[in-house]
Amino acid sequence: MNHEELQGQYELYAMGVAEDPERNEIREHLDRGCEVCMKEMRRARQVASMIGASSAPAAPSAKLRRRILASVGVEQRSFGWAPWLGLVAALSLVGAFYFEARERSSLEELAAVRSQMRQQAVDLTRLNEAMTIMNGADTRQVNFGAGPKGKVFVNPASGVLLIATNLPPAPAGKAYEMWVIPKGANPVPAGTFQSQADGTAMHVRTGPVDMNGVTIAVTLEDQAGAAQPTSPILMVATLQ
Amino acid sequence: MLLSLLMAVLAEGDAELIKRLQSRDPQALAEIYDRYGRVAYSLILRVVRDAAIAEDLVQETFLRVWNRAQGFDAERGAFGPWLLSVARNRAIDYLRSAGGRERNALELDEVDHPALYTNMERDILASDDARVIRAALLKLTPQQREVIELAYYEGLTQTEMAERMGQPLGTVKTWVRTALKNLRDELGVAVPA
Repeated sequence: MNHEELQGQYELYAMGVAEDPERNEIREHLDRGCEVCMKEMRRARQVASMIGASSAPAAPSAKLRRRILASVGVEQRSFGWAPWLGLVAALSLVGAFYFEARERSSLEELAAVRSQMRQQAVDLTRLNEAMTIMNGADTRQVNFGAGPKGKVFVNPASGVLLIATNLPPAPAGKAYEMWVIPKGANPVPAGTFQSQADGTAMHVRTGPVDMNGVTIAVTLEDQAGAAQPTSPILMVATLQ
Repeated sequence: MLLSLLMAVLAEGDAELIKRLQSRDPQALAEIYDRYGRVAYSLILRVVRDAAIAEDLVQETFLRVWNRAQGFDAERGAFGPWLLSVARNRAIDYLRSAGGRERNALELDEVDHPALYTNMERDILASDDARVIRAALLKLTPQQREVIELAYYEGLTQTEMAERMGQPLGTVKTWVRTALKNLRDELGVAVPA
């Protein structure tokens, strides 16, 4: 049996539903290291995976995660963002009361605590925005990158979340600027951001987005931002 | 700090995660569950159509991944496709056992061996591919779509499909062959040589 005759059988083999004589034929080809069959099988496994990934989305119960971790010997608290947010809020309050009580006379320290709380509030707001975009039912996700790389989440109602790694800190006076580029239209500024010392960065642009063929790009611009890109694109991701 | 944590969780590639899984780091299993638990559950539920059974099978899936991760190539392996294959095969195995059709249990073991899932597109679950394949499936004729679903979601052979559908085997084979060719063409599935 030649490879032409085996076309259409590789996917069935990958799903474990091929029948003889084709099943034995493919097995023999694979056993003797047939390059054509190995390549066809990789393609077939990929098609099968894609069918599986297209299943209608459904959510398991929250306790399943604990069950699975317990079954490998880990008793773990349930994980979710709500406890993290609650923890931060509680710590902030405790911190504020503690410092206020102990250092009531120290206006500088109080100001520092307040500044810290403001920063935490900003962080929490950004986290909430990020989680809203990531968890949206209509959110789509694309990866980008060689060099700087990461993921872009786009939700038609909530906005765009960009997460990047391997993005070196911008030079002094410069910042990274994100662009939302509607299909067939000019880039629209979507805010500036800085990367962390470890090369990670997160940026959120809230608000509605037309998802149809939209492209998200990042360039390096002056710190104040630009109205149109003035430097080469560093990262780009397009929703197909 | 929280932002850094969020970014680290999201940006870390599968390769590092798999290495941690191979070194028996339970937190890696937790992160893998967070990343793939929902899609595995969705697939299994589609097969068994019972939430409680689906959760049991998701648990089996992740235990199997935990126990077999050593055979996975962290650098070149496509983790998502492998995990989905394990999930699907657990569900089909259950379906076959429940229906008294256990003949292919070993074959399923054979097709979800972790070493097979290398040199493939790795990030199929993190892209728009689910939407693309839904669209591709919708372009098939109802009969073509049905045979693909019977093969993938019910684990039926072409002979079993013919019996189920009350159609000649030759007709079913034509539907299967045409459906798979159309899917391949539509998806433009490319794999490294």
